[in-house]
This record gives sequence, C-alpha cells and structure tokens, in this order.
Amino acid sequence: MGAESLTFGVWHHTTLRYLDSVALSYNEVRMRPRDRGSQRTIAFSLLTNPAAVPRSRIDYFGNYVHRVDVTAPHEALEFVVDTVVENSEPRRRRLPMWSADILAGDPRLEYALPSRRVPLSATTRALWREWNGGDVSYDAVLATAERIPKELRYVTGATTVESSIDDLLAGGAGVCQDFTHLFLAMVRGAGWPARYVSGYLGPGGDQTFIEGQTHAWAEVCGADGRWLGLDPTHGGFTGVEHLRLAAGRDYSDVAPHRGLFYGTSEGVRPEVLVRVTRMSHQQVETVHRGVAVHWQQQQQQ
Amino acid sequence: MAKTKPPSYLPVDADECVGLDGFARTPYVDLLGAVTRMQKELPTLRRGAQDWFASRGVTFGVPDDGVAPIFPFDPIPRVIGASEWRGIHRALSQRAVALDHFVSDCYGAQRALRHGVVPGRLVYSSTGYLRDIVGVRPPRSTWCHVAGIDVVRVQGSFCVLEDNVRVPSGVAYALEARRAMEKLAPEWFATSAVRRIDEYTTRLRRILQRIAPRPWEAAIALLTPGSYNAAYYEHKLLAEEIGAILVEGNDLIVSEDEVYRRDSDGGVHHVDVIYSRVNSDWLDPLVFRSESMLGAPGIIEAWRRGNVAIANAPGTGVADDKAIYPYVPALIRYYLGEEPLMDNVPSFDLADPAQRAHVVAHFDKMVLKPVDASGGYDIHFGRLVSAAERGELIARIDSAPRQWLAQEEVELSRAICMDANGGLEGRAVDLRPFVLLDERPWISPGGLTRVAADPNQLVVNSSQGGGSKDTWVLSR
Repeated sequence: MGAESLTFGVWHHTTLRYLDSVALSYNEVRMRPRDRGSQRTIAFSLLTNPAAVPRSRIDYFGNYVHRVDVTAPHEALEFVVDTVVENSEPRRRRLPMWSADILAGDPRLEYALPSRRVPLSATTRALWREWNGGDVSYDAVLATAERIPKELRYVTGATTVESSIDDLLAGGAGVCQDFTHLFLAMVRGAGWPARYVSGYLGPGGDQTFIEGQTHAWAEVCGADGRWLGLDPTHGGFTGVEHLRLAAGRDYSDVAPHRGLFYGTSEGVRPEVLVRVTRMSHQQVETVHRGVAVHWQQQQQQ
Repeated sequence: MAKTKPPSYLPVDADECVGLDGFARTPYVDLLGAVTRMQKELPTLRRGAQDWFASRGVTFGVPDDGVAPIFPFDPIPRVIGASEWRGIHRALSQRAVALDHFVSDCYGAQRALRHGVVPGRLVYSSTGYLRDIVGVRPPRSTWCHVAGIDVVRVQGSFCVLEDNVRVPSGVAYALEARRAMEKLAPEWFATSAVRRIDEYTTRLRRILQRIAPRPWEAAIALLTPGSYNAAYYEHKLLAEEIGAILVEGNDLIVSEDEVYRRDSDGGVHHVDVIYSRVNSDWLDPLVFRSESMLGAPGIIEAWRRGNVAIANAPGTGVADDKAIYPYVPALIRYYLGEEPLMDNVPSFDLADPAQRAHVVAHFDKMVLKPVDASGGYDIHFGRLVSAAERGELIARIDSAPRQWLAQEEVELSRAICMDANGGLEGRAVDLRPFVLLDERPWISPGGLTRVAADPNQLVVNSSQGGGSKDTWVLSR
C-alpha cells in the first residue's frame, strides 16, 4: 500500500417518505462501490427499514445493484449504507487520442454517443468551439473541465435532479450533476468516450469529517482504454477523496435509488444524508479485525 | 398446348397473376378459371366471408364506439407455386437464423460489432438494445422464436422489405382467412393442391413447451397488452389454439423470482412460459420504464434466472430496428458464411454521410420511413413530396438521421382483387410468412398476404386500411 493510501468510512442514509401509505414497493439501489483502480471496499452493509433481504447483481455498466422488495404496507422506506473504502491518489497520465475508425469498432464507442440525459446538441458543440476552437486534443478536454466551474456558478437548489443541460446553460447555475452532464456532452461531441460517475467526496486537507450529499464527476477514456477521472465541479483531476460508487452513461444509469410502488400515494420525497469520515489507522485496524473475525466465523460454520 | 384467346376480363396490371401475354400465370391457371366462371358470385362470397369474420369476432384495429372493425378481406386467393415457395422457404430460413445469431451476439460477445459488420453506433443507440439483459442466455439459446419477415415481389422476384422479430402479428388472420375460404369456396380447393397451414399452432405450442424450465409441465400464458391492442383478436385466438391462458400484465405476480398468475376466482397458478405479445421494453416496469402498466415488475429477473421462459426473448428489438436492416445481408455472410438467398430492397443508412448524400441526390427514387415506427405511419415517397416539404423533411432527417431509413422505391407486384362493384382489379400486395425457430426453422406455407386499400395505394399495411387475402402455396 502506498503512503498516500487513505481509508474512509461512509454513512449514506436515504429516507423515502411516501405522501400516503403504499402497499408494496420494488427498489433498485446502487450504493455499493466496486473495486476499481486505486479503490477498494473493505466493508459494506445495507440495512433497510422496514427490513428486507436485499439481493445483488452486477449491472451492464459493472455496478453493484441491490434489489429490495418491500411487500408489506409502509409509509416510508429507509436505506442505511455503511461502507469502508480505501483509496489512494489515482495516477494521472495524458490520454492518447482516438482515431474515429478504431473507436467505431470499440465497445467504448457507447460512451461517445448521446444518451438520455446527455444529448449532443448544437449548443454544446458551439460552446466547445467557443472555448477550444477546433482543438479536440487531451489538453482541450482538460481545459474544458477546468473552465466549467469558472463559467457557471455552483448553486444548491438552482436545478433539480430532472434538470437538463439547457436548463443549466439558461440559468448559469447548477450542481455537480448538471456540470458533469454538460462536460460529458462537450467531450463526447469532440469524439471522446466519457462516462458519468456517482460517488462520494471525502474530507480533504486537514478535515476529517464531511457531511452532505453524494457527488458526481466524469471519466474520460483514452485510446489505450484507460479512464481518467475529471471533476468539472472543482475543475480538475479527481483525487484520493473521490470515492467511486457507480458509473454509466449519465445520471439515469447510476441513480442511487430507483423504484416503483403500488398504492394511493402520489409521490415520494427522498431525503439523503451522506457522512464521510477519514478513518485513523487505529479505526482501520478495528475494521480489518472485524472483517477477519467475521471471515473466521464463516469458515467455522 | 394451344393457347386460347387471352381472356379480356383479367386486369392486365395484375402482374402477379397475369403474364405479359394476358394469360394467367402458371400457378393461377386453375384458380382464375374457377374465379372467372363464378365471377357473378364473388360479391356473395365476400359478404359470406365478412359475415364469417363478424361471427367469429375477427377484428383488426382499435375499438371505435366499442366495436373493433372487421378485418377487410378479399375473396380471391393469392397463389405461390411450389418451386417458388421452396426458394422463399430457404431464403427466409437463412435470414431468420442470421437474425437470431445477431440478437445472440448483441447480448453476448458482440463479435459483429468488433469486426465492423454492423456499426456499433447503430446497436448502442437502438431503443431495442436492452442493456439489462446483456449476458443472459435464454433456454435453448433461441431468441427469435417467431419471426414475420415481409417480402415483396419486385419485377418478378421476391425481396425482403422488413424484418419483424419483436411481436410479429397477423398469423391468426391468415388462419382465419383459410378457414373462411374452405367453408365458402370448397370447390376451389378441389382443383388446386393447396398446402395446409393449420399445423402452425401445433408447432408454436411445441416450441413454447420446449423452452419451458420443466418441459413436461409447461403452463403457458399469452401476455397481451389488452383489448385496446389492434391485434387483440389474434391474441385470443392463439391462446385458445395453443392451450395458453390469456393474461394481462396486472394478472401476473412475481414472487421470489417465480412468475404466477391470478385467476378470476383469486387462485394463484405458476407460469412457466410467457408467449409475450407486449414489446419487451414494456415487460418489466422496474427494469425498463416506470410508467408501463403492461408488464409486471420482476419478470426480467425471473427470466434471467431461468424460472420462466419468454418468447420472443426480451431484447429481440435490436434486430427489428429498421436501421439494422441494410446490414442484414452482411450479417448472413458473417454468421453463416453463405450468400444471402434473397435480396434486400436497396437501403441507405442516413447517418452515414456518403449514403445520405446519395439519398438526397436521388430523392425522387426514395422512400423514407422512421426506424422505430410500425403500422405504415410517417412514410414518405420522395417523388410525391412537394418542393416545399422536401426541405422540411430533409431538415427533419438531418436533425435525427439515426431515426430514419431510406429505401429505394420499388414497384410492388399486383394481385387480382375484387373491386367495390364485383369487378376485378390489380392491387399491390406483400407477403408476411411466419418463421418459427427452434433447432431448425419451420415456415408456415404461405403467410399473411396484405392488400393495398385501393389500386392507387402504395403502402400495404393493415393499419392503413389495407386488407388481406388467403395465401395458397401449391404442393406441386
């Protein structure tokens, strides 16, 4: 393990409050990170209230999905996720450019095409030209990620989870989801495969604790098949504190919760709280010991 | 054999039935002889057929004022000779197998995409490509159990107009048309050796049983979108004849990844096989789209785990996408190593700049149709589009080239039909044979012949007011 490796404890609490009692609900949650690159999940638990037995599978984009069916009437549904994630500073390398011919026969082409929340419109193409001219190189991709937070204001509540790229550009303000969608539209328009990443932002610098929401950023793929994390909300590379949860073409592929319910309730109001703590070596030791004990018990059974 | 004087009452534009010399073509000789002998009785025959359909409730279309319209029917059968049918049979078997390989490949290794046989951009942007089922192997590795491949006769030889491998409909109309004709004009069958088509439902049932998780106790449900679907009559008839229970989405329950149906008495029964007449992206609101009430949440997971079989398998829409159609001949060569036995109508992928330029330059010769529509809507014949509308249409295509397919306009063959006054006229026809795919393909001899609504109509589609007629395949 490199010296820069850090361990974070994530507490992710979601409450769905139905406006009226529902008879049953089916839910899909994407709240368990997968090990990738520099990131490893040491411990994970998902509890629900009312209690249900979640079952997991891996989806098309390689994310863990848990199915949670609640078959008794309920007025609210809670998901409590506790995760311990270890991460280290990702390596940053220049991405080699794709040639159109090679990308055309590559599965990663999918991430260069428009998707439901990332249409490739004349507006985003024009914005790319305005910022970068005809340059579609790696440097222009980087410059775009850096420039987005300078041109647009980060305002919580300026947009909703349903807002489009056009809404962001019209209002000039949005949140990480909007910035990421805009960035994806621009770099895809320039011929780069790029995907949406949902995750958590851990405490940086001297902080040991951060409370808030989930975060979102992007990953761009080079012709060598490597993905590079870029955060268009903070205008730069992703770092050790960017903890990946799920990746897909846009928000609709990675929404942490998706579900449907039967009943008279007309809607549901989700409340989400995320707490990320940087764990001390001692705490990490405790977690490791806990995992080891659990594993031993499993072996003995 | 001495030829007699050309009978002047045969419409010369009915090239399907009448040769350039004015004589009936070989397969039609016996039939047209009989037809012309009893021409005065044709209106009675048509009335008899309409009454037959009305009494059996054979309707096509959405109920208007609570009554769905009777399927329009022409009493003069269409005839295909034995050797010509052998050619069609071989060609469509080949095509259905290749389409099935393609679906399998799309949800598997995607070899054809990597090797550039089909552009990946078309598959990845297809609404029929269902990401949630990538990696699934359906029972017996068959996806397109039922395919309806539309063929048209152009200058004497058949070519493929369209592939339907999602929920092809129409077979019940073909079965009923035959029953009506056998009842009303039995003497016509005496002179021609017409192959039977009633084996279809037995074959279909056998396929559905064979894909069941436990084939010896297969409870089959036919899933219909409901009585407001244009083909609801067909769903009822097929359910009855294959021994399936007709269900709608809200009759189905999924519990512990097993599918059950509720009956009207509150009983609950296990379902092993679903013959689905609902588009697969409507099957499971949890997986595909939350507003759908036509399916049941959890069905896809039950299918993924092998607890229920679904025909056609979810996801076949990727091969049904009209944008893939131009590449089907290449897919046949790629998967089967054979030359396609039947040609496509020349078609152009409008997202490809070179092909698009060709289409614009030869606009008068083109037909433009949206890739994801059915029912013959929004189809434009280049030569009939006014100069003013042309720019608008090209702009629509340019703004979404992926949504359009251009095909060269072809002149469909015309078959003899009865006109409103009991006379004879030629009208454009197509043919939809039904291919059942198991270990090897089986094709019902004949299929659904659709007839244009009037002699000037160019689109042959039941949703466009067209009718149908019985289709005869001769055994010799």
